Amino acid sequence: MSDKQDQDSQTSSKPAEKLETLAEKLKLGKLDLKVEEVEERISPSETNVFDK
Amino acid sequence: MIQKSAAFPISLIFPPQGHFTQPYLALPCLKAWLEQHGFGEVDLIDASIEAYDHFLSPDELSWAADRVRERLPLDSFGKSGELSFDELEGYRAAAESAVSADALISGIESAKRVVRGEEFYSPDAYLPAMRSVYHGLRLYSAAHFPSQLTPHNFTMRCANDRSEEVLAATLNEDENPFIRFFRERVLPGLVERQPRLVGLSVIYGSQLIPALTLGRMLKAALPDCHVTAGGGFLAYIGKKLLAAPGIDACLDSLIFHEGEAPMLALANALQAGESLGTIGSLDWYDRSSGSAVRVENPQGHPIRLEDAPTPSFDGLPFEKYFTPEVVIPYDINRGCYYGECAFCTLPTVIGPGYRTRSAKRIVDHVTELSEKLGTKNVNFITDCMPPGMIADLPNELIERKADLRWWCDARVEPKAYTPEGARNLYAAGCRKLLFGFETATPRLLKLMKKGQSARATLDVARNCTNAGISVTFYAMVGFPSETREEARATLDFIRDNSDVVREVSLQTFHIDEVAQTYKDAEAFGIEILDDEHADLQLYHDYISESGMTQTESAEMFEEMMAAFREHLPLFSGDNIYYFMNKSHYFLHLARDVAPDEFVELCRARTERRQSNATTHTDLAPAQDLGVATLRFRYTDVIRALAHPLARAVRPDFLTGRYVEDLVARADAEIGTIKPVENVLAYSSRGAEYTELTPDGKQVLDALSEVGSLDLLFDSLAGADERGRADLVRFAARLERAGVLNPTR
Repeated sequence: MSDKQDQDSQTSSKPAEKLETLAEKLKLGKLDLKVEEVEERISPSETNVFDK
Repeated sequence: MIQKSAAFPISLIFPPQGHFTQPYLALPCLKAWLEQHGFGEVDLIDASIEAYDHFLSPDELSWAADRVRERLPLDSFGKSGELSFDELEGYRAAAESAVSADALISGIESAKRVVRGEEFYSPDAYLPAMRSVYHGLRLYSAAHFPSQLTPHNFTMRCANDRSEEVLAATLNEDENPFIRFFRERVLPGLVERQPRLVGLSVIYGSQLIPALTLGRMLKAALPDCHVTAGGGFLAYIGKKLLAAPGIDACLDSLIFHEGEAPMLALANALQAGESLGTIGSLDWYDRSSGSAVRVENPQGHPIRLEDAPTPSFDGLPFEKYFTPEVVIPYDINRGCYYGECAFCTLPTVIGPGYRTRSAKRIVDHVTELSEKLGTKNVNFITDCMPPGMIADLPNELIERKADLRWWCDARVEPKAYTPEGARNLYAAGCRKLLFGFETATPRLLKLMKKGQSARATLDVARNCTNAGISVTFYAMVGFPSETREEARATLDFIRDNSDVVREVSLQTFHIDEVAQTYKDAEAFGIEILDDEHADLQLYHDYISESGMTQTESAEMFEEMMAAFREHLPLFSGDNIYYFMNKSHYFLHLARDVAPDEFVELCRARTERRQSNATTHTDLAPAQDLGVATLRFRYTDVIRALAHPLARAVRPDFLTGRYVEDLVARADAEIGTIKPVENVLAYSSRGAEYTELTPDGKQVLDALSEVGSLDLLFDSLAGADERGRADLVRFAARLERAGVLNPTR
């Protein structure tokens, strides 16, 4: 992950403690887990009829 | 071959920006012609492909990323609390760069290898690689914001039709990426070579600013070298261009239409120190009085095409084109035997007359090139293959066992594209034909003077499809007087026949100064609008007495394109890259993959990507995952920028026009974007901009900490079924976007 701050905060934690903390934090079932992907759109400026 | 005694180096340069899948044909034709007539030192430089390859390198992308951070800091947007219309493009560029720069820098070489190698033939490898290439260009463009370089276009903040702005752009190093490129990558070689004559080939409007930029730099670095230019786009605006003040700092002359004869005469005159006054189809600056005085020579005669030698591609960097196999461009004929279509301006570009080569000569040349370049793939360049040639060329190819694979444009000729004729074409290696369908409305076809019916076009297309040839239709929206209902009838017609038509190349109608629609505007029920400040104006806005307005046509384009994406498998999801890069789809067909088979491949991939299931439970965040928390939703920005008004404020590839007052209209209609915290993620494997909620980011963080999805489930033993199902769906979508990857 290139989010440097996140990486730094993760490196010193102990796995066993982390699991408990995460389970409490996540509150599964109440999370908004929407994901939006951006479909490549094409416009008149991108449909160059002369392109090969 | 005539041998000239004195050295007279000539450099022929294709300036950025042109398509990056294959070389353009004009300069290889000129090189061969000049060599045949005794000029042995003719060098070809495709500066367009060199620029694409250079910009898409780790070092350059790294340079670009640093520059974007300086020029477009994310926190500089939305200072008023909301994001205004004029901030949208910058915000998008800044957000994308922030999240994808590292992955693009580390992944670009691998992406280029995929596109240029055997993995190209696997859609699951090819499509993310192509996305990386497009996104790499977005990062490079962001470093020169608001300029945009894509695989299809290059635009700056200015209009192409105002010489003052165009000339200013040639000096604007902050926004013109080609100044540094030319200085560091092109000029040193030319200064060493000391050409006496440089020819710049300007086919597209997107090449105008880069060509003049290079011309200016060449004239400064090599004051004794004559810099000329020619090509399709300059055939339109050349006279106006040379009349514009300041152009003499960039060019010495312009060649109109076909270049062979004028270029040879120019080289001969320069070598002999003679006047340029007798060279046909050349306009030039006479500098003998100390200032540049424009001289217009009479039009010359075109060459006899049958006498033209095999084009010489020697010296072009074939390994740099974005394709795994070379596709050879070769012109069967020049001009159009029909020449009646009301919207068409090709006679202006190509010059007077219609000429063709014999089938024997064509096959002589393409088999020679095939052997020399080690490829069987050919793109026949023709505006429309004449009816006789539709039979002669396949017969000659079959008789001589040429074993080539080829594609080309075609005019609807029902007597030639019979079931038997189409089968013969397939047997001769034809794998893809593009027909000018335009519209399903008989009234409009008549107004356009197309000389064909929609039904006849469909019959021809069906014959070709049944023979195994992939069919593309060119279609047009917004021809003067066309109504929404008529445009929708065209859409319905194509949709109803999607088993015959694989692709549709849709364009909005434009009026340029040489088409019948401009010259006889009244007959088409339109009033032409002039822009008094546009001294290089070629394209015009207009008001139509009936039918859709220009804006409504742009909206209809969106509606039709959305429908094509839904109903044509080649347009669905990210398969659109096969359409946007036409020869890439052709290369699959050239391996004798049947169009039906390929369409099925596209359909299956789209379905797979729409599924919310995953077979992996060992999913973990991608190693090079970039994540950025944003104040304004990325997808809100993308949606706003997709508005037809937002699109219209940027020059398109064809018109190169920049309509300034549209910014105010777009600002008023599109409005501002309110802040909503969101998270953008990007990895090199998926190469997709993926928007999550802050909750989604929490899950991502949890996955990073525990190591994988199954370990996360272990830690959530008490979670209910619904919560677990939500998590699986979330993970499946992120896996598809490459944000999560299997660890094993």
